Amino acid sequence: MSHPTEGLLRRLLDEPAGVPDADRRHVLNCPQCLDGLATARQDAALVGAALTTCSAGEPDVDAAWQRLSATRATASIPRRATAPERSGRLAALVRRPAAAALAVAVVLTGASTAAANDWLPAFRTERVAPVSFTTADLVSLPDLSAYGELVVTGEPDVRQVPDAATAEELTGLDLPEVAELPSGVVGEPVLQVGTELSATFTFSTERAARAAAEAGEELPTPPPGLDGSAVRLDAGPGAAQVWQSASGAPALVVGRAVAPTAFSAGLPFEQVRDYLLTLPGLPEGVAEQLRTFAADGSTLPLPVPADEVTTSSTQVGGVPATLLVSRDRALSAVVWVQEGVLTVVAGSLGDDEVLAVARGLR
Amino acid sequence: MDLVEQRRAAVPVARAVPAPAAAVPARGAVRPDLEVVFRRDYRLVVGVAARVLGSRDGAEDVAQEVFLSFGRCSVPASEARGWLSVAAAHTALNALRSGRRRADREEAVAAAGETVVDDVAEVVVTREERDRVRTALAHLPRKQATALVLRHSGLSYAEVAAALGLSPGSVGTTVRRAESALREEMVRHESSD
Repeated sequence: MSHPTEGLLRRLLDEPAGVPDADRRHVLNCPQCLDGLATARQDAALVGAALTTCSAGEPDVDAAWQRLSATRATASIPRRATAPERSGRLAALVRRPAAAALAVAVVLTGASTAAANDWLPAFRTERVAPVSFTTADLVSLPDLSAYGELVVTGEPDVRQVPDAATAEELTGLDLPEVAELPSGVVGEPVLQVGTELSATFTFSTERAARAAAEAGEELPTPPPGLDGSAVRLDAGPGAAQVWQSASGAPALVVGRAVAPTAFSAGLPFEQVRDYLLTLPGLPEGVAEQLRTFAADGSTLPLPVPADEVTTSSTQVGGVPATLLVSRDRALSAVVWVQEGVLTVVAGSLGDDEVLAVARGLR
Repeated sequence: MDLVEQRRAAVPVARAVPAPAAAVPARGAVRPDLEVVFRRDYRLVVGVAARVLGSRDGAEDVAQEVFLSFGRCSVPASEARGWLSVAAAHTALNALRSGRRRADREEAVAAAGETVVDDVAEVVVTREERDRVRTALAHLPRKQATALVLRHSGLSYAEVAAALGLSPGSVGTTVRRAESALREEMVRHESSD
């Protein structure tokens, strides 16, 4: 008989009962397989030892539960090591909107296919990780509080609805219908809707000057009329159809949402945005977020990290679209914006499969 | 400012939305079984994250993030173990990849060339090797890295398969490839030292 696979040899180390008798007998009498088994054992032991930590004792579950309860009570998100200092100071104002924006963003981008009621950046499988990893950081409202007043209106409200008609009624959007499901995706989708969110930012020359001074620089002269000028950033509503795989992981998501847009009551939004981008001390993360907002909703609000995802241009129904493929090719997504409405098709599928679904939408 | 006021008035505070399905906690609500699952699986989640990060404190932060998310999701309690393990592995791998590992007390203590001994195999691994393995882990294909960490955290082949959507037969192959890649990484450095 042929030699058992490497995978079977590996399992023989951990769960010999899971290996067929014939394979076990073969290994016992086969010098080549015994060698392979020995190597597998050495590698497993070495890697296992390398992955241990130095900590002694067990974690304190009671203390951890208290911590979780306290966090939930304040409805805040655990502090992340990379959070900029300013975010820490503005926890009450900014963290909540960030979570709120993320809730909508899950529907908006669709690429983070975690069920839409999972707001936090912890996801079900690696299939959603490459893109969802970034949404937490990127598709939140920019923290502009150092430069004026930021007021968030609208509550995060992402939930499951029973049918497409309800989703359409709640969002005012036509839900796209998938003509043919890719192979391996079966069953009925779960429908999620997210309501609209918006934030209004009112520029304050005084606050901006203070922020500039903290950064050790002078405030560039603001354009006339900017002081007190307001900009509104809107996101949503949106709806997503989520097909789950047998493991419970999202296999395919088709989402549609009103594309994020910015409006201004005074100066044109681009002028406000471009001025803000010149400000000393503006954190790069905030600048990146700001750049993704356009006045007409034509900009794709989905900056992606090049080390996780490759992007390319394509077309869906004659409209320019962006194709995103995770570097491990586990997840693909195609996103486009037409007449202020953003549509995304994403899943643990090949790029050709998501494109076929996208191009076949009715 | 007119625009602001209009906007506030225009945003409906409570929309007429049908009640969510029974399995999905309403917005703001937390699943009733959260504490039971937390107490049952917290050590596992910390263990998974700690294998990725090499740090208990960092792992406990990850576990908080994971359970907050779990509290809002509708995964059945019977599938929670797999879900939580994968979420912990991914959150920790994301942290590892983006360089968010904390330089905490454990690492400071360990920094002086401390070694770790695996009781069973009597394998001695230096601090430097552990760092190299974690760097390599961050660059493995996500599925391999996760399968490896879950397996070394004590999940069975069937559990790893279910959690990652793999066939049970391919778990061994996936784990083996990951171990082989990490070992090569360690050997490569040894030979170049």
